[in-house]
Amino acid sequence: MEYVLKNGIVYDPANKVAGEKKDVMFKDGKIVDSVSADAKVLDVTDKIVMPAGIDPHAHVAGPKLVVGRIYRPEDSRKGVTHKTDILRSESGFSIPSCPSTGYRYSRMGYGTVVEAAVPPLEAKHTHEEINSTPNLDIVPLSLFGNNWFVLQYAKQNQIEDLAGFIAAWLRLAKCYGVKIVNPCGSEAWGWGMNVHGLDDPAPYWDVTGREVVTALAKANEMLGLPHSVHVHPNDLGHPGNYPTTVSTMEALKDIEKNSTVRGQTMHLTHAQFHAYGGTSWRDADSGADYIADYVNNNDHVTIDVGQVTLDETTTMTADAPMEFDLYKLSGLKWANKDVELETAAGIVPVIYSGKAPVNSLQWAIGLELFLKVNDPWKVCLTTDHPNAGPFIRYPRIISWLMSNERRQEMMDNREVHPWSHRRTSLASLEREYDFNEIATITRAGPAKIYGFQDRGALTPGFNADIAVFDINPNDIDPSRNHEAIEKGFSSAMYTIKDGEILVKDGEIVKVVKSHTLWTDVKGMEEQEKRVMDRVMPDFTKYYTIKFENYQVHDKYLPNPIVTEVQAGK
Amino acid sequence: MKTITFNQKKTSQIALEFDELIPDEVYSWEKADFEKYMVPIGNSRFPLTDYFDIEVEGSAESPEEIKMILNGDYGRVKYIGTKMGAGEIIVNGPVDLHCGSQMKGGSILVNGDAESYAGREMEGGSLTIMGNTREFCGCSYIGDWRGMNGGTITIHGNAGKQLGECLSGGSIYVKGDCDILAGIHMTKGFIQIDGDVTRWPGGQMKNGDIVINGELGRLLEGFVQQEIVENPEIDGKDFSGKYIKYTGDIALNGKGRLWLDAEKNRHLLY
Repeated sequence: MEYVLKNGIVYDPANKVAGEKKDVMFKDGKIVDSVSADAKVLDVTDKIVMPAGIDPHAHVAGPKLVVGRIYRPEDSRKGVTHKTDILRSESGFSIPSCPSTGYRYSRMGYGTVVEAAVPPLEAKHTHEEINSTPNLDIVPLSLFGNNWFVLQYAKQNQIEDLAGFIAAWLRLAKCYGVKIVNPCGSEAWGWGMNVHGLDDPAPYWDVTGREVVTALAKANEMLGLPHSVHVHPNDLGHPGNYPTTVSTMEALKDIEKNSTVRGQTMHLTHAQFHAYGGTSWRDADSGADYIADYVNNNDHVTIDVGQVTLDETTTMTADAPMEFDLYKLSGLKWANKDVELETAAGIVPVIYSGKAPVNSLQWAIGLELFLKVNDPWKVCLTTDHPNAGPFIRYPRIISWLMSNERRQEMMDNREVHPWSHRRTSLASLEREYDFNEIATITRAGPAKIYGFQDRGALTPGFNADIAVFDINPNDIDPSRNHEAIEKGFSSAMYTIKDGEILVKDGEIVKVVKSHTLWTDVKGMEEQEKRVMDRVMPDFTKYYTIKFENYQVHDKYLPNPIVTEVQAGK
Repeated sequence: MKTITFNQKKTSQIALEFDELIPDEVYSWEKADFEKYMVPIGNSRFPLTDYFDIEVEGSAESPEEIKMILNGDYGRVKYIGTKMGAGEIIVNGPVDLHCGSQMKGGSILVNGDAESYAGREMEGGSLTIMGNTREFCGCSYIGDWRGMNGGTITIHGNAGKQLGECLSGGSIYVKGDCDILAGIHMTKGFIQIDGDVTRWPGGQMKNGDIVINGELGRLLEGFVQQEIVENPEIDGKDFSGKYIKYTGDIALNGKGRLWLDAEKNRHLLY
């Protein structure tokens, strides 16, 4: 089937197209240069046309989500809709059901989402949830930062074997890349402890976060994976944590990049939670300057923000000791989950309120990061869904980024607490994003950071993943019309996935199965065999399940998209 | 003023759901509107008139001018008055789960028994139950930590377990007896029980007042006896007689107050 999106105003940063009126054509699921006269014409005159959105960091599938849904039925009853002829019923606000997740991303013009924390032991279930989430391509990252075998390899600085382990485990878990969460900290949580800073060793291991994150980054580059290491540093959410964050970025500065499809060797995730100054919540202030300056002056790092949206939400992370701290702070309920040799997780509901000084500070720090990182290719729009807020708030964040007037209004009329401007420089930042920058931080930038060669741009041959929004950029002042911007980006006029129209005028008209992206590393067979010989005795001894039941078999991925990588090239 | 009368024709084994049939929604409806309305039953909808004869008299410009009279056995009708903001509902019979839940205003009178979750997360208005009610009256939703925070519930019969769980405002009066854990997790508000209480009122309460005029079977260890007060004023209300005042639950550094009729609870004095 051939289509022409006629007369749209196109923002395609990867192809340096910024607000040009032109046609976009696609055929048989791919973007093309030309179509025949029989092509179906979709009139999108003066509407914004962009590649479909890519969320580079969210938690949408896996065991944490399940625990969250079980212990927060009060969240599940929000957002309930009845089933229709093509849709299942929806439920949930911060932790929506799997179908709801797919539908809601789709309505916002998104086509790809990264599930940022998959414990390999729970990977089977994660893939089952991915299969229950329609209309999205999902990119799972596997957790490595507290894995016992990784700690051993890092301690002994055996990078080649570690690379073999990663190659084997990505294949076992069918994941795309390497995620590191609070390296050594989640392992310490097994003893009721945490680590503080990059050089605090994990108890009984005598290995530090610095050694782990450095070893994993080296191994990642040895393999030449399409994505860099994806790092959630130590000390998340603690006042005065920005030096740890800067130290983590600095630790990976000199690691040589081995990839032509991405620019960075480290992706710092939910940077907002890692950009705090002060010594306690009493004197906490913004450390965004330090993070933004570092990112501006170094090319080996990209970030996503994790913007606080001022909603009631559910925090969930493999940084289990942090969740315990949060539970003690909030006094609300807490769930904890241990994942044997791999990681741990905590879940706590949080009410981010504009009346609360700390929450307002967090809100402002996130916006500071967006506005202070000069190059939009280095920063991505996320809420670390659902940790800083649900992903359905992305349009609202876009409206904040495009309107200094709105930000000032929120501070002036006390929609946010005065800490937002007294302890940050947000009030002095006049920068406003334009549509091209929005397309960069939500589409082209994430695609480059993940090394995607088939999406994130309207390049001929790429997947026809396209979003059209009912916004005329020549007839709207985003600075003064923040409500129209939020409304426009909340409800896509068209969401097109692989050439199929899934959303029309904000309503889902078609439901398709998800794809799962994973990375198959070739050329490490010898190292992988050596690794398996070494780890199997410990695996058999310490895991509660047999290896035969551990690996994710192909049947769990009915619609895989495999990125094959030749190690070292 | 408009009076809408439901006369039951038959009952259903699967519960009907009445959350769409509140004064706020139906004040402008005429008889024909009710006749074409499909009521949710399980995962389907059926004509409301299969189950009720409906009479509409008078006219109304707003929900405040609505009186709904429900005659019959509503023991399999859930969500009566859920989220209602104004008007009056009188049920001449028993009601099923969630009657008056999330109610914001107006009044509901149940001339019969009420199933569990009556007045759940109530924010305002009044709910009066002339019979008994079961568990979780005036409570929070499952998993939530925010219960009833406004309005008044009056139960003329007995109340079940966990009355006023997570209560954070409003008042609950029970004329009869009450089962265990009344006011558990309570942070504010007022509960008065005139009959006997089996055991453990106020577990993990942080603030608010619970008055028990009957005999308490067993007290939680987290409550500390403070003093005996004669004719106390509690939550702005005057009480006559002697009351033993406890504070707790000390397990959570709670500052809640538990008042027990001294005469009927002499066995607890030390």
